[in-house]
Amino acid sequence: MKAKLGVIALVVLFLGGLWLVAAPFAVGYQARGATYVDATVNDLWLGGSLAAISFVSLVIYAADALRELARRGKHSDA
Amino acid sequence: MIRKFVGTVAAALAVLAGLWLMIAPFALGTQPENADWTSATQSEFFSGLGVAVVGLIGAICFAAAIYEELVVRGLVEVRQRKAEPEPEPVPVPAPQASSAELASLLAPLVEALREDLSNSGEHRRNGKAPLVGVEENR
Repeated sequence: MKAKLGVIALVVLFLGGLWLVAAPFAVGYQARGATYVDATVNDLWLGGSLAAISFVSLVIYAADALRELARRGKHSDA
Repeated sequence: MIRKFVGTVAAALAVLAGLWLMIAPFALGTQPENADWTSATQSEFFSGLGVAVVGLIGAICFAAAIYEELVVRGLVEVRQRKAEPEPEPVPVPAPQASSAELASLLAPLVEALREDLSNSGEHRRNGKAPLVGVEENR
């Protein structure tokens, strides 16, 4: 149950990272076609990193869970 | 186990990222001093607050899950709370019997014992072995 809550938190963090990437353009403090301001650069880097880390963590979590399932299946066959 | 550890690390990194987002407008100088918060500052601050809170919740949940698994595997012992010692019962003084009453109460018993000792080796009238013999045979 606790691990499930953690996974949900990772999903929310992934969505938060996507929001941070889109925020400068969605909120409107980055003019289109203009050079990126400091806030935009900061948001893009942090949002991208956050989304990437969350996504990689989710993939690792799913892969490890699947590996454990496969191991349990092997043991039950034997 | 490793997946929970990875989740904990990722969530902890998210906490740090959220904290940085909260202070970034002031650290980078995009928020002018003594002025109302700009839309960029508000967006970054509240996004950072959300990221930090969610990251903290995730880190706590994953750490609790790791702890639970360690307990299940027997690698960590759960500390038991020491039970508070019960207060010792106050001894109630037994009613004092006078020595004369005690002597009169014990007299038949002493007499029976003396009789039993003097008749050791012989069967008693009711056919049972004497008390002393029984005790020695144990």
